[in-house]
Amino acid sequence: MDNKEACDYLSSLIGKNLRIHVSDKRVFGGQLKCTDKDRNIILSLAHEYREPSAEVLRKAVEESGNPTVKVSWTSRYVGLIVVPGAHVRKIELEETTYG
Amino acid sequence: MADPLRVNILTTFNGDTSHFEASDRSYQAALQQPRLPQRRIVDITEEFTKACSALKVGQLVKDEHFTLFESVSALEIMDPKMDSGFLQPGETLEDEYDTLAPLLPEEVLGIMDQLLCYEMAWHTGYTLSQTLFTSVYIDKLLWPEPKTLEQVQFYRGSVPGSRRPGPLLEVLRAYCLGLVKCCDFVIAKITARHYFEEEDFATHTYHRTLFPQIPLDVFLRELDAAVEQLDDPGLTITDSLRGAITGRLLFRKAFLLALDLDCPLPHSSSTWPPVLSLLPSISTTHQLSVPVPGAFSNKIQRRLASTVPPRPVVELAFSDAFTHLKQLCHDCEEATRVLTIPKDPIEFENFLWASASRFPAPLCYARSYFSTLLTDESTVVSTPSLPMQDLQLLVFPPHSPLIDPVNWAIDRPRDNSLPEPPRLQIAMLLDGFLERASASILDYWTALGQNACRLRRLLTHMILGFNELQMDAAVVDEDLARVAQEVQAMEGHPGAVMMPRPLETWTYFKKLSLVEKCILLGFAQDVYLPEEFGGMYTFLSLVTTRKAALLDTIYAHFSDVEAQYRRTGRPPAWAEDVAVHRDWYIDTLRHYTKGIQHLSAALGVFYTTMMYLGLVTGGSIGPFGDHARRYELRMRPFLALDPVEVPAWEDFKAHVLPWGEYSSPDRGFGDVLKGGAVWGGLELDLRQAREAFARVKKAGAEGMRAVGSRGVWEGEVQGLMKSCVGLGVAVVGVRGAVEGVDVDGDGGWRGRLGVRIEVPGIRDGGKVERYLEGWVVPRVVKN
Repeated sequence: MDNKEACDYLSSLIGKNLRIHVSDKRVFGGQLKCTDKDRNIILSLAHEYREPSAEVLRKAVEESGNPTVKVSWTSRYVGLIVVPGAHVRKIELEETTYG
Repeated sequence: MADPLRVNILTTFNGDTSHFEASDRSYQAALQQPRLPQRRIVDITEEFTKACSALKVGQLVKDEHFTLFESVSALEIMDPKMDSGFLQPGETLEDEYDTLAPLLPEEVLGIMDQLLCYEMAWHTGYTLSQTLFTSVYIDKLLWPEPKTLEQVQFYRGSVPGSRRPGPLLEVLRAYCLGLVKCCDFVIAKITARHYFEEEDFATHTYHRTLFPQIPLDVFLRELDAAVEQLDDPGLTITDSLRGAITGRLLFRKAFLLALDLDCPLPHSSSTWPPVLSLLPSISTTHQLSVPVPGAFSNKIQRRLASTVPPRPVVELAFSDAFTHLKQLCHDCEEATRVLTIPKDPIEFENFLWASASRFPAPLCYARSYFSTLLTDESTVVSTPSLPMQDLQLLVFPPHSPLIDPVNWAIDRPRDNSLPEPPRLQIAMLLDGFLERASASILDYWTALGQNACRLRRLLTHMILGFNELQMDAAVVDEDLARVAQEVQAMEGHPGAVMMPRPLETWTYFKKLSLVEKCILLGFAQDVYLPEEFGGMYTFLSLVTTRKAALLDTIYAHFSDVEAQYRRTGRPPAWAEDVAVHRDWYIDTLRHYTKGIQHLSAALGVFYTTMMYLGLVTGGSIGPFGDHARRYELRMRPFLALDPVEVPAWEDFKAHVLPWGEYSSPDRGFGDVLKGGAVWGGLELDLRQAREAFARVKKAGAEGMRAVGSRGVWEGEVQGLMKSCVGLGVAVVGVRGAVEGVDVDGDGGWRGRLGVRIEVPGIRDGGKVERYLEGWVVPRVVKN
């Protein structure tokens, strides 16, 4: 991929909703605002999502008696964030289609 | 039991999809076609990484509207200082604190008192996330967001009967509910004010709702039920602890009633005494409590919607929190007195100044409470006649036909070609002016409800406002004089003889009073450096000299009118009314102003002399500064005034640098010192100031129309008189020291004076060093 292709590809993602998985297993969802060679990523209007801890899952299963109980991820609004490239583990694009 | 990690658990994002919303257009399309949007997640890690590595160093791919400036405010994820969600290795997200575990009564007391500490810390300006929202109990009540009051529990969903909260936990819940509602009331009251208070108070609730929809009586019922629960004989609890907890519940109830937004105005003054009466028992029973540190956690911040870095928890000692609480209640109670003071603009202004100068400065809530009372439709501010009364008190003597209420009842002539009757014209001219003046006065009164530093800054703007008003007043005065002459010619009424330019005089008087207050606030807030004291007090005396001259003119006019009334055989009571008003109000005001004028002149000369004697030394003025530039800077708020209040530097220099540079005075200084001219003038000023203040004291609060704030007023007069005496003592001290020394020569004499000057600082932690905040009276100490 040459520089122009790279720019075109990344530019096409600007403003799109991305989910960034980081090294401590949290996921950040927000709009891509900016990125660079080191894969630092700036997201705006971002939310933080955190997987329920093993303890919470255990309790939920215990209390409901249902081994396939649904447990929500916890989420909160964090606004404008920068995820350093070194901590990015996985990048997902959310595509919404109708039909 | 199944291993939870192996269980096939469906984890889902919990519904918060605001940022996943489709663009507006496709959203519209979706509305038209009843098809659900399909969300597809595509892993693009590889392409993204490849594309990034093809970028050049320093090359950015970004949204064209996204600026570097914005990016600075982005929170850096995985940086412990910035990322409130960051966990240290091995750290868990939440503390293992069980909010359903039974508590001992002393522990419930401990939690209640700790909550009170955090509540007051919040009142002093910290965020909820650093204070009340660290409570695990409050967090459980508020999150996940409950839909009904029944859901507001220390748990969600259902719990087995054995785990249901016991009576003491129910009591704690009722207390917490009341506390949260208090916060809701506080935020609503503060945010309802027109001016910006975020500087002093954090209203952010991190997307938690504090029961704004649930009415007050629900909380009162919960608290009542809790009190009853404590009375249950089956409960194991000592009487003292029962009393302590009940006291806190009753306090919370009374506090809620006092904070209630819908509390009818006439009742507001009766809501605070019950709160105040419950306070002492809280403080005395605090020692029974046992703290429960686990019930508060810094980690809750991680789950709050927050676009700011994590902040440390604020620890406020119980005694400090209690002091704040007591002060808050006292300030609010004092504020309700505004409803009872005489309905008189000067009384009102004096009351506002008394409130503004309360120490310690009232908390943000108390100020908002006060200004809510002030601006309520039924209170004094909204009375349209107040500015009119203000005018009458100063420039229109009693029984003048110009201010006869009848003027406002005259009908316009039906025939439009006829001129309006002169009396009606006067009413219209005054109304037009008052409309403008009311805006300035309201601004001024609103400013008085702000914190002291902001008040001083705002005053400089108010002064400019009154400056413009003064120009308008001059125009109206011309018309007024013309019409007043017509009235005089038609009716031959002696009271129709106006003083020259009454409206301008009134506005000018107000403006000069504001300048005077502004300078004094500068001293009270330690804005000026010691080497500027001489200059600023001198300037103050120049301003008050003009103000005193205005009052002399007004006094003379009242005397004229009195004489006219007597001469033209008007009812004797008329002349009497004019004389009484003149002797009580105008004369007291005149003496007060003259006292200020002479005391500030004396202080000006004193500090200037001390600079030459080397007894007050300032920091150096810096390589790029000079006296003239600093003077210009200090005078900047007053430079635009018309008429000119600020003398040109060349003229002012004669006051503050009469004998050349401070470090090397010319020969004239020695001569003046030896001749005693400096001291003589100074002592004369002091004597005149003392006499003037003595007259003011004799007239009392009634004379100055400060009956509603009598205590503060008496304290001020007392402080002014003490300042005169204190300065007199200082003068004697320095004079004695200087007499023994020959001040000619190279300056070596400075070391032989044998005394030094102590300049008292501003009030710090309640320690009073000055007789009055704005008057820096030095002390002379022997070396």
